[in-house]
Amino acid sequence: MPMMPGENPQHLAVWADNVSFAYGDVKALQGLKLQVPRGISFGLLGPNGAGKTTLIRILAGLLRPQNGSIQVLGESSARKVAQLIGYMPQVPALYAELSALENVDFFARLYGLSNRRQRAQRVEEALRFVDLWERRNAPTLKLSGGMKQRVSLACAIVHQPPLLVLDEPTVGLDPELRVTFWDHFHSMTREGITLIISSHTMDDAAHCDRLAFLRSGRVIAEGSPQELREATGNLEASLEDAFLYFVRQGVSGDVA
Amino acid sequence: MSLSRAVAIARRIIRQFTRDRRTLAFIIIVPLVVMTLVGLSFPEEAVLDYVAPALMATLAMFFVFILTGVSFLRERAQGTMERLMASPVSRLEIALGYLLGFFLFAAAQALIILLFTILVLGVHYQGALWQIFVFQLIITVGALNLGMFVSTYARNEFQVVQFIPLILAPQVFLCGVIWPVEQMPNYLQAISKVLPLTYAVDGLRGIMLDGSTLVGVGLDLGVLLAFAAAMTVLGAVALRRGAPA
Ligand SMILES: Nc1ncnc2c1ncn2[C@@H]1O[C@H](COP(=O)(O)OP(=O)(O)O)[C@@H](O)[C@H]1O
Ligand SMILES: [Mg+2]
Repeated sequence: MPMMPGENPQHLAVWADNVSFAYGDVKALQGLKLQVPRGISFGLLGPNGAGKTTLIRILAGLLRPQNGSIQVLGESSARKVAQLIGYMPQVPALYAELSALENVDFFARLYGLSNRRQRAQRVEEALRFVDLWERRNAPTLKLSGGMKQRVSLACAIVHQPPLLVLDEPTVGLDPELRVTFWDHFHSMTREGITLIISSHTMDDAAHCDRLAFLRSGRVIAEGSPQELREATGNLEASLEDAFLYFVRQGVSGDVA
Repeated sequence: MSLSRAVAIARRIIRQFTRDRRTLAFIIIVPLVVMTLVGLSFPEEAVLDYVAPALMATLAMFFVFILTGVSFLRERAQGTMERLMASPVSRLEIALGYLLGFFLFAAAQALIILLFTILVLGVHYQGALWQIFVFQLIITVGALNLGMFVSTYARNEFQVVQFIPLILAPQVFLCGVIWPVEQMPNYLQAISKVLPLTYAVDGLRGIMLDGSTLVGVGLDLGVLLAFAAAMTVLGAVALRRGAPA
């Protein structure tokens, strides 16, 4: 395989080599290899238990790989670049007593937006982005699950990081909002922002520039949605078909 | 180290507590109820005068320990602590932020206990009132950080509550709250020397009964300050444990 210039870890958003992580006896990641170029939307696709959340928590600097090495934005410690990462956990971690606005404002302060006017503007932008500006003063407690999910996304983007790591951001969204979200995500990648998005629905997968299929803590295939479908040898194949094809193949391969 | 991040965390905690009316009411009412019971059960003035400083120290520690222990644990259960750890905030900033945020409520409780003891129970005291209060605040800071530290070892609220008999009960029996330390066997006296409540009780009695000043009880004060500082550092270090394995 030819060595692409993008394979220099410094130039990648994420470079992971042989990464393993276990919770006690439970192996969540097993020798995972991954390279995510900058400025694209990259999907981590896989069923429940595939290891998506574990990988994302490593990318967010919350866990350290027990084996192998990882670089995020060219740094081997994600904590060093915490300021440059926007993290959205799988389950919204919000302060129930505070309003949507207060939650987003809190994270804006944590990420160093100390100028009052600039912060107010960023907070408004983030809340408008997730279409919650009208509900900004409602206590988070009173918001629906999907709305909490959106507040959580607003908290992740408020400091306008160059890398977003989103754990199942579209879960609990109605189809209309899902489309809006993807419109926003596409406009972000056009601005050069890297998005890493985990999902278990192929509907999200189709929107991504590139995908990694995850299963049992390994990447079983990687490529653009088009490449992954074509690799099955069936022109009609859907991404579901492609996933099953690679599961049956049981080999780890790069189709690109 | 950025103070503005610690302040942001403190502001958030204060806001959360003030929104939660029921919890706020408990913070104020519970010390009042307990102190009333104490007052009713000690008919003899001289005894009450002797016991009151020890009770003030113990209760301040007890309430604050529960308040911070449970709040901290809730943050970890809800995932907000992990979310915080993914941000550029350092562990020391987090510990400091919590210290600042909880301090307001802990100080309010300490003040309620103090005023009730003096105004309603009519306990006699020698030293300056403000010095009694300052000393109580120092006790509070130590207890606050102890609550934070201990809660990182608990997996749920039930376990935090179980730490109470483990950590507070021995102190009540060994630190001169009920009977003077000097009357205990030597090995128990030795143990009492390493328990913070010993210094809290001794110092508060010094000010209230003997009319000492903060400088006069400087040794007690110093030990309590060292304890508070040690707990802040330990709490910050132990925060890692907070993130689910
Ligand atoms: N905190 C944890 N303790 C023990 N096992 C865990 C924990 N979190 C995840 N696991 C296990 O690790 C594996 C991968 O989980 P996860 O990364 O959450 O996958 P996904 O996000 O793809 O559903 C699963 O088998 C899961 O049960
Ligand atoms: Mg998951």
